[in-house]
Amino acid sequence: MDATHDRGEPTPAHGGAVLEVSPLSGRPGICVSGEISVITRLSWQEALAELARRHRDVSYVELSGVGFVDVAGVSALAVTAMNLPGGRVVVEHPPPQVPRVLELFWPTVRGIEVAPR
Amino acid sequence: MSSVVNEAFSHPALFYRTGQEYAEQTVSFVREGLASGEPVAVAVPGPNLALIEAGLGADAQDVLLLDMTEAGRNPGRIIPGVLRAFADAHPQGRVRIIGEPIWAGRSSVEYPACAQHEALINAAFEGRAATILCPYDESRLDPDVLADARVTHPTVIAGGRERASDVYDWQAVVARYNTALVPAPDAAVFSFGAQELPEVRHFAVGQAGRLGLAGQRLQDAELAVAELTTNSVVHGGGRGTLWIWAEAGQAVCEVRDRGRLTDPLAGRRPPERGQIGGRGLMLVHYVADLVRVHASDDGTTVRFYLTL
Repeated sequence: MDATHDRGEPTPAHGGAVLEVSPLSGRPGICVSGEISVITRLSWQEALAELARRHRDVSYVELSGVGFVDVAGVSALAVTAMNLPGGRVVVEHPPPQVPRVLELFWPTVRGIEVAPR
Repeated sequence: MSSVVNEAFSHPALFYRTGQEYAEQTVSFVREGLASGEPVAVAVPGPNLALIEAGLGADAQDVLLLDMTEAGRNPGRIIPGVLRAFADAHPQGRVRIIGEPIWAGRSSVEYPACAQHEALINAAFEGRAATILCPYDESRLDPDVLADARVTHPTVIAGGRERASDVYDWQAVVARYNTALVPAPDAAVFSFGAQELPEVRHFAVGQAGRLGLAGQRLQDAELAVAELTTNSVVHGGGRGTLWIWAEAGQAVCEVRDRGRLTDPLAGRRPPERGQIGGRGLMLVHYVADLVRVHASDDGTTVRFYLTL
């Protein structure tokens, strides 16, 4: 399953949580909606891996449609940004767990910028 | 003195009776470290912090000073958030820390977690070049607390003299305070499996809001519940039960499952920076005012408290 090309198709999940990932139009990055948790972990990590492969200077992760991200979900984002050869990831309009977990566990991580809701 | 760093971990308890004795002992401990070029941190309750700061004068600026009633409000976060954080930030050579996690105002609900924390420092720092001095107020603490300190510390400094403790046995204290936890009879209950992970989280948020949590505290409760319930689904036999209630001005939330928690340092050992998992229980320790754990062959209970 190539999550970044699953335009509009909900990830099959065995719980009540789903994750939809689609490419942004007009700029590099992904638009995500649903919930990032253990149930949708695989799709989220695949989407981030694909984002890192295509990364040039700046990549955008649009999260205004995401209701909740757990600690491992934020960690996956931080580790992705940390491992980029250069440039940065701009996380747009994330739910409150993203800045909170970054503050607690990744206060000095480089390569990630949060544009608040 | 050899230039080779002594790798042995040193963890003395310091029994003190007066503010003057406290200041003399702690300030000379700090100065000794500064003189040997060791990075020094002090995490003690505010009034004691002021004593040390005053005693150090201008040297205080070379020391990391933390109010333990904030940094270590929940004793479960002191190892990763204070002690390891400082030691890991100074990987070259020996570090020196004063950590005072137990003061006269600690409640009987907090104390078992405090004693377990003191015991677990020995496991967390085994073989590391660090000296962690733990002051105990002999004039105000309960005799049982002082007796425990002799069990959780390999050496005790009293009356200015350091002696080996012949009752040192930290595992015994971890085991003694690993006691069954019973939810309040009026608790709201929700049983969950993987299917219900979003629902149990929504349920907890609704209940916590009804109990009076709001803003970031409510968001922290949501994250903590998500991590504990996810642990039950992934490590605890696939399902669990959540209880939530209010008691003595705190919201209390408890998650039980059939998993066996065998690692006493779970939630206190910072994972490698590049590791994605392994921060769930640590998150709970970081955001909560207190965490109590009961681990048995029949299952695991993790309970966290957030002051309303």
